[in-house]
Amino acid sequence: MEYEAVIGLETHIQLNTASKIFCSCKADSWNAAPNTNICPVCTGMPGVLPVLNRRVVEKGTLLAAAMHADLQPVSFFDRKNYFYPDLPKGYQISQYDRSLAKGGYMDVPQADGTLRRVTIWKLHMEEDAGKTKNDLISGSRRIDFNRCGVPLIEMVTGPDLRSADEAANYLTRLRQLLRWIGVSEADMEKGHLRCDANVSLRRKGETILNTKTEIKNVNSIEAVRTAIVKEIDRQSRAYEHGERIEAWTLEWDEDSQTLKKMRSKETEADYRYFREPDLLPVYLTDEWRAAILQDFPELPLARRARFMAGYGLPEYDAELLTAERSLSDYFEKAVQAYGGEAKRVSNWLMNDVLRMLNDSGKTTAQLALTPAYLADIIKLVEAGTINTNTGKGLLEKVNASGKSPEEIVRAEGLAKVSDDGAIRAVVEQVLAESPGEVAAYRGGKVGLIGFFTGQVMKKMQGKADAQKARALLEEMLR
Amino acid sequence: MELFELTALEIARKVRNREVSAAQVLESHLHHITAVDGVPGTLGGDQNTEPDKVHAFITLTADRARQQAAAIDAQIAAGQDPGPLAGVPVSIKDIFCVAGTASTAASKILANFTAPYTATAVERWEQAGAVVLGKVNLDEFTYGSSNESSAFQPAPRNPWNTAHVPGGSSGGSAAAVAALEGPISLGTDTAGSIRLPAAYCGVVGLKPTYGRVSRYGLIAFGSSLDCPGPLTRTVADSALALGAMAGADSRDATAATVPVPNYLAELEKDVRGLKIGLSPDYFRITYFDAASGDLMEQPVPASVRQAVLDGAQKLAQRGAEIVENIPMPHTKFGIPAYFVISRVEAASNLHRYDGVKYGYRTIGQVEDLRSLYRQSRAQGFGLQPKLRILMGMYVSAAQYSEQYYNRALRIRSLIRRDFDEAFQRVDTLLTPSTPAPAFAIGGIYGDSVLMQYADQLLVTGNHAGVPGISVPAGFEESGLPLGIHFFAPDFREDLLFRAGAAYEAASGPRNLAPAWVRGASSSLEVQS
Repeated sequence: MEYEAVIGLETHIQLNTASKIFCSCKADSWNAAPNTNICPVCTGMPGVLPVLNRRVVEKGTLLAAAMHADLQPVSFFDRKNYFYPDLPKGYQISQYDRSLAKGGYMDVPQADGTLRRVTIWKLHMEEDAGKTKNDLISGSRRIDFNRCGVPLIEMVTGPDLRSADEAANYLTRLRQLLRWIGVSEADMEKGHLRCDANVSLRRKGETILNTKTEIKNVNSIEAVRTAIVKEIDRQSRAYEHGERIEAWTLEWDEDSQTLKKMRSKETEADYRYFREPDLLPVYLTDEWRAAILQDFPELPLARRARFMAGYGLPEYDAELLTAERSLSDYFEKAVQAYGGEAKRVSNWLMNDVLRMLNDSGKTTAQLALTPAYLADIIKLVEAGTINTNTGKGLLEKVNASGKSPEEIVRAEGLAKVSDDGAIRAVVEQVLAESPGEVAAYRGGKVGLIGFFTGQVMKKMQGKADAQKARALLEEMLR
Repeated sequence: MELFELTALEIARKVRNREVSAAQVLESHLHHITAVDGVPGTLGGDQNTEPDKVHAFITLTADRARQQAAAIDAQIAAGQDPGPLAGVPVSIKDIFCVAGTASTAASKILANFTAPYTATAVERWEQAGAVVLGKVNLDEFTYGSSNESSAFQPAPRNPWNTAHVPGGSSGGSAAAVAALEGPISLGTDTAGSIRLPAAYCGVVGLKPTYGRVSRYGLIAFGSSLDCPGPLTRTVADSALALGAMAGADSRDATAATVPVPNYLAELEKDVRGLKIGLSPDYFRITYFDAASGDLMEQPVPASVRQAVLDGAQKLAQRGAEIVENIPMPHTKFGIPAYFVISRVEAASNLHRYDGVKYGYRTIGQVEDLRSLYRQSRAQGFGLQPKLRILMGMYVSAAQYSEQYYNRALRIRSLIRRDFDEAFQRVDTLLTPSTPAPAFAIGGIYGDSVLMQYADQLLVTGNHAGVPGISVPAGFEESGLPLGIHFFAPDFREDLLFRAGAAYEAASGPRNLAPAWVRGASSSLEVQS
């Protein structure tokens, strides 16, 4: 029997606002000691009230626009009521039936070159809860409220993904997009992007939805992929054995790389949603919306396509150069400053500048090597003013000093020496210093031409026109 | 005349003029409180202790008050103006958080809770020069109209007849003001909780427009209905008190940014030319018969009706135009809709009291988290919160919310429409405050349905969000006070003050406090 996987992903995206969603505590508590980034509002003390951080609406609006969702002119916050120790108010302030945006989709390129359209079923703003830790030694439960009130967007896809790889691709593209539009750091290890996966199987060609299981606690894209592969495997074996799939909630155990059953879901919890009376409706006026979306960027897939069509870049280059928005901006600026073939700039960027970035851990914005300087260096090499090797060395020098390439070439005398007389003098000197090698060469070991060329270049600090030096050597060794 | 008999306006004027010091005013009040209030309400206290005292307070913070009074006097000495409430002693319903003081909500579950912050309304009064005497009693979490449900006993008694309830839930506030234990008290009104006890105790009670006064620091009951407001002995003091606390608040998103007028100046304008409406729907009470479940109707008592008509006549004589037969057809659904909406919000608002973070936690052995929750809440909450939780959970459950909660919200919209239409024809509506004067202690307690029908003529204002004021309207034959009430459009508290002050002026001098209350301090002086 051939089965098809039906997968939907539920993601929680931590927005990178400065403060929490309803109070002025810092939004980010990474590395903070437990319960040090809290206040009466986010810990739900008696009598306190939430006040909405407008930046959360703005970031949510950017994300909704990027997902092609319909932004709603009026949306509401609701209370989702349930008891848990790390939920200090006993309800979570979320959005329910009238959320910030409706619908939407993301087109995800797959390995075979096709696009998978993933529909968005839900996109809303909400506050995060705290963290509970079971202390096995003391047998007590410890609660850290730091995360309470951190702004989240919950985004749920339709059951549109058909394999573990497609799910992983979606998450990779989502993470790229979140960073691209600047709404989240999207670091899964830090919980900025959390994912639960709903998985079911059906026979190929069917359109029904079978009972699904929910996989929780998967906090890397690789873990999502592996967990889904294992769950598809488990479910297909169960079907083969004629067993029924039950609506379990499964927990991914990273250490043992296995899925564990957390609970069976017999009934849906009743959260008794109702409108949050402490907050006003969110009115996304035309003016506000326009202001938020004023500088809305070209999105990564569109830019990738344009790099291929407009600049004639191979898919590989276009993909790599659009991995991050700042890198793709850098590329375009360098191309404009250069004015020549974009592929040349791409080569320099991918081979050398990316290595500099990786080695230093810096972003393109932090480089003293501006796109214009990069273009200058490429032009200097193209014009034959400097050697390619000199040019590559110049990248580091410009970046370290912040001086222009021309200035450094001038100050350090790096310009290529093409003058026959100057090279000829050094060639004579090298040949005079290496009588043994000269004899060997003349005796037939013509491979030694590389040695002689190297010696000349060395004496001239790499500035000699290498072709010219070689021609002179060959002439004088005859 | 003793200092404790003065109005807030008089006290502030005398303190600012250096006729008296804030410290003198405070000591006069503290002395008087000792004489009339008796033992404060305490957790597990006996409800029958000192049945002839008022018992308004839960926590008297005399030392804190003395520090504040000294600071006011220092400001005066330095030539600074402490503000419009300079040296005025005020009491605070113990549903507001005041930094460093116990903030109990009259519940065992918060008996050990000390607030680390001060409610905006209190903070603004303090900034205006008020001296906070302490926290006064209420129904547990404000759930009631008698104060009998307080976990802190003895509960407040009606100063005009201590065998009767002061009303509620701001009963401690009403009793304190009526017993001359400070000219102003801060209360809250979710369905009449300021105006009903004000009527029962013969004082002025104002429920401002929803959002006129910040709710920050007010321990929530029905968040979409709750309004902080003042209880005072005169309408002018009400205007003074509201002006000192109204306005936008960055800590409350629902606090309105509408400018705050000078209420005291507005109040001088009297009622000439104002259109004052009377509605037949406010001269009857509708209720469900307990046995048959049928909707029953009966007129309000003649004495109540007469008080309102008398008020209308007095205002007409001062130049107001009385407009009769304003239809308010959805008034009768106010209590059932309130039952549903307030309980859904209350049940949710009570979730946070779970024994985990603060407040009462069971001292018994618990095997798991669920039993920690269950036992802490079972032992910490009294009867009234439990009833509200049960009802609130039921009517908001997924399978019932359409039938109850969403229907109640539609009724609420219809009640709002009644007011919108009425206020196209008139400036204010004149209504009875309550269908009857204060009932006897133990009279109807336990029947929370019946008790809440006492709010039927007031709760509509909470549904609609419009402001209302109850002003004293003499006494019934029994000697218990009666009140009449005005509604006005959103943010038109100025109209309430004009109508209330005009009625007050037309009624002539009145007995502001029971004789025993006035005499109590002097007898104490004789003894000491």
